Amino acid sequence: MENLDFARLQMAFTLGFHIIFACIGMVMPFFMVVSHKKWLNTRNPVYLELTKSWQKGVAIFFVTGAVSGTALSFELGMLWPEFMKHAGPIIGMPFSLEGAAFFVEAIALGFYLYGWNKLPEKFHWFTGIIIGISGVASGILVVSANGWMNAPTGFDYIDGQFVNIDPVQAFLNPAWFTQALHMTLAAVVATSFAVAGVHALQVYRNKRPDLHKKAFKIAIIFGAVAAFLQPLSGDLSAKDIAERQPMKLAAMEAHYETGTNVPLYIGGIVDEENQKVTHKIAIPGALSFLAFGDFDAEVKGLKDFPEDEHPPVAIVHYAFQIMVGIGTLLMLAGILYFLSLKYKKLFNKKWYWLLFVVLAPLGFIAVEAGWVVTEVGRQPWIIYGFMKTSEAVTPMPGMEFSFYMYLVVYAVLAVTVTWLMRRQIRVLNAVKE
Amino acid sequence: MLYVVLFFLLFSLLLYVLLGGADFGAGIVELFSSRKNKLTTRNTIYRVMGPVWEANHIWLIILLVILWVAFPVYFNVIMIYLHVPFVLVLLGITMRGVAFIFRHYDAIVDRSQLFYNWMFRISSLVTPVFLGMSFGALIGGKIILTEDDYTGFTFSELYLWPWFNSFTFLVGIFYAVLCAFLAATLLIGETQGKVRKMFSKKSAYFTITLVLLGFILIAYGYIYEVKFIKDFVSNPVSIGAVILSGLLLIPLWRAIKRQNTLGSRYLAGLQVVLVLFAALYAHFPYIIITAEKEVSLLEGLPPQAVIQNLGIMLLIGGGVILPGLFHLMRSFGMIKIFKSGEKEFENN
Repeated sequence: MENLDFARLQMAFTLGFHIIFACIGMVMPFFMVVSHKKWLNTRNPVYLELTKSWQKGVAIFFVTGAVSGTALSFELGMLWPEFMKHAGPIIGMPFSLEGAAFFVEAIALGFYLYGWNKLPEKFHWFTGIIIGISGVASGILVVSANGWMNAPTGFDYIDGQFVNIDPVQAFLNPAWFTQALHMTLAAVVATSFAVAGVHALQVYRNKRPDLHKKAFKIAIIFGAVAAFLQPLSGDLSAKDIAERQPMKLAAMEAHYETGTNVPLYIGGIVDEENQKVTHKIAIPGALSFLAFGDFDAEVKGLKDFPEDEHPPVAIVHYAFQIMVGIGTLLMLAGILYFLSLKYKKLFNKKWYWLLFVVLAPLGFIAVEAGWVVTEVGRQPWIIYGFMKTSEAVTPMPGMEFSFYMYLVVYAVLAVTVTWLMRRQIRVLNAVKE
Repeated sequence: MLYVVLFFLLFSLLLYVLLGGADFGAGIVELFSSRKNKLTTRNTIYRVMGPVWEANHIWLIILLVILWVAFPVYFNVIMIYLHVPFVLVLLGITMRGVAFIFRHYDAIVDRSQLFYNWMFRISSLVTPVFLGMSFGALIGGKIILTEDDYTGFTFSELYLWPWFNSFTFLVGIFYAVLCAFLAATLLIGETQGKVRKMFSKKSAYFTITLVLLGFILIAYGYIYEVKFIKDFVSNPVSIGAVILSGLLLIPLWRAIKRQNTLGSRYLAGLQVVLVLFAALYAHFPYIIITAEKEVSLLEGLPPQAVIQNLGIMLLIGGGVILPGLFHLMRSFGMIKIFKSGEKEFENN
C-alpha cells in the first residue's frame, strides 16, 4: 500500500470514529432535555436521576467528539494540503458557521453541566435545548462542506485555477439539502436505537426496570419516527445522485451495462475484474423507477465511464446494501414499538427487550456504511470532477506510522468510553428505589 | 474586511494563548504541586476551569478555520512542514481533554483516578511544549521550502529538524512556563488562606523561571544568529513592549500581595499581550521564516469575495458567541474577575 492509501485509511478511520461521538453529542441532549422536563413537571425523582445520568454521558461523548473533531480539522490540512489550499477558501462559510455553532454548544454545555442549583430552573433547562439545537446545527453545516465535494459549485475552473469564487453558492450546493437531511435523520435513528438498546438490556436483565423502561421510551420515540422518515429521505438522495453522480449510483447498485428498464439488485457478489454480479436477486425495472420515477428510464452503467474513474465498486455496493438493509429493519422495529403502545402486553415479553438489545449497534453500522457509500463512491475524486484524491495528499512520507498510531489511540479511547458507560449504568442500577 | 479577519485571527490567537494557556497551565501547576497539595489543586481547577475549559479550546478551531479560509498559502505551508509536531499536539489535546472529563465524570471513583490524573498532568505539560515548538519552527529559520520538489531531501531534513532543535525546544518550554504562570496567577484569586499562599508562591516561582527563560531565549537567538530574535532585539517597539511587560511585574506582585485578584489577572493578561505583540510586531506579516526566504501571511490571499464573506460570518459568530461566553464566565468560576473583583477594587 502507498502513502495515499494510508492517508485515506487514516481519514476514514478518524472520521468514522468522530461520527459516532458527534451523532451521540447531537441527539442525546434531546433525550436529556425531555427527561429533565418530565422531572420539572412531575417531580418524580427517577427522572432527575435519569437526567443526571444522561448528562454525564453527554459530557463524556461531547468531549470525545470535540477532541476528535479538533484532530479532524487539523487532519484536513495535514493529510490533504493541496485540497485545502484550493477548497479551504471556497468552503469557508459552512466551516466558520459550524465553528460558531460548536462554540455556542460548548458555552451552553458549560451552563448546563455546572448550572444545577445555581441557575434559575427554566433557564437551566433552556440551556439544555440550546446544546441540542446548536449540536444539530453544526452537524447540518459541516455536511454542507461534504456536499460541496460531491457537488462542487460557486466557482469557475479556468486553466487549473479556481476563480470567481462565490462562497454563498458553494455553501448552498445542490447536494447539501438531501445529504444533511439524510444524515440528521440517521444520527437520530442511530443514537436513539443505541441508547434505547442499552436501557432495554437493563430491562431484560431486570435491573431497575421501572427506571430503564422510562429511559427506553424517551429514547426510542425519536428513533421510531426518524426511522420511518428515513426511507423517504433516502429516496430523495438516490434521485439526486442519479442526476449528479451517475457513476456513484452505478457503483452503489453494481450496475455495469447501460440500459432501460434496469433491475435493482439485492445482495449479490461483485466480480470487479469481469464486471459482473453473481448470486443476486433482481427486481425488474426497480432501479429505473427508484432513480428516475419511471420503469423505462435509462440508467447509465459503469461501462459507460472511463475505467480509471471508477470507484471501488464492490465496497460501495456492499456498504449500500448494508445501509439499506439496516434502515429497513430499523423502520420495522419502529413500527413494532408503535404497535406495542397499543398492545401493551408486548412490554412484558422478554423477546421484545432482547430484540432492541440486538438492534442497538445497527444504526451506527448503517451510518458508517452510508459514509462509505458517499466517500468511497466519490473516488478517485476528492472534489468531484475537478481534483483527484491522489493530487491532494500530503508529500510527507511515512503515513503508515501515523495511521497505526491513530488506530491504537482511538481504539483505546473507544474501549475506555464503553467501559465508563458500563460503570455509569452499574452505579445507576446500584441505587435502590 | 481584511482587517476584520485579521482582527479575529489575532483575537482568537490571543484568547487561545491566554485562556487555553491558563488551562494547560493549571495541569502544569498540579504536576508541580507537592503530593499533599495535588488534591486541593485538582479540586480548585475543576471548580474554576470546569465550566469554561472546553470553550477555551475552541479558539484553536476558530483560529484554524480563519487560517485555511483566508490565508490558504500560509496554512498549506504549516500543515505540510509541521505535520509531525501537530500530530503530537493533537495527541496531547486528546489525552488531556478526555483525562479531564474522565476524572470528573467517571461514576465510580477508584484507582483508575490515579491514571486519569497522571494522564491529565503529563499531557498538560507536553501539549504546550509542542505548541511552542511548532511556533518556534515557524520563526526558527530552519524550514526548507521545497517548491514541490521533494527529491534530494531526507525525511528528517524536511519534517524533523526544523521543529526539533534547541531553539524550538526553548520556545516550547517558554510557552509551557508562561501557561503555568497564567494559571497560578488566575488560581490565586479563587482560593483562600493557606491554599492561596501556595498559589502565590507558585506564581512567584513561575514568574522568575519565565523571566530567566526569556533572557536565555534572547541570548541564544542572539549568539546563534536566529534572524527572528535579532530583528526582534533591534526593533525598538518590540523591545520596548518586552521591557514594559517586565516593568509590569512590579505592580503585578504588589497586586498579588494586596490580594487584588482583578488587578493581578489583568496585569498578567496584559503582560502576555505585550509579549505576543512584541513577537509578532517585529516581523508582521512575515510569520514563516525559512532558510532562504520569509513567507508572508498575506501572500496568495483569496479573492475579495471570500474575505468579505468570512468577515461577515466572523462578525455574526462573534456577536452570538462573545456575549454568551462573557455571561458564562460571569456566572461561574470567573465571576470574580468582573463582579466581586470590582468590589475589591473599591475596597482598595
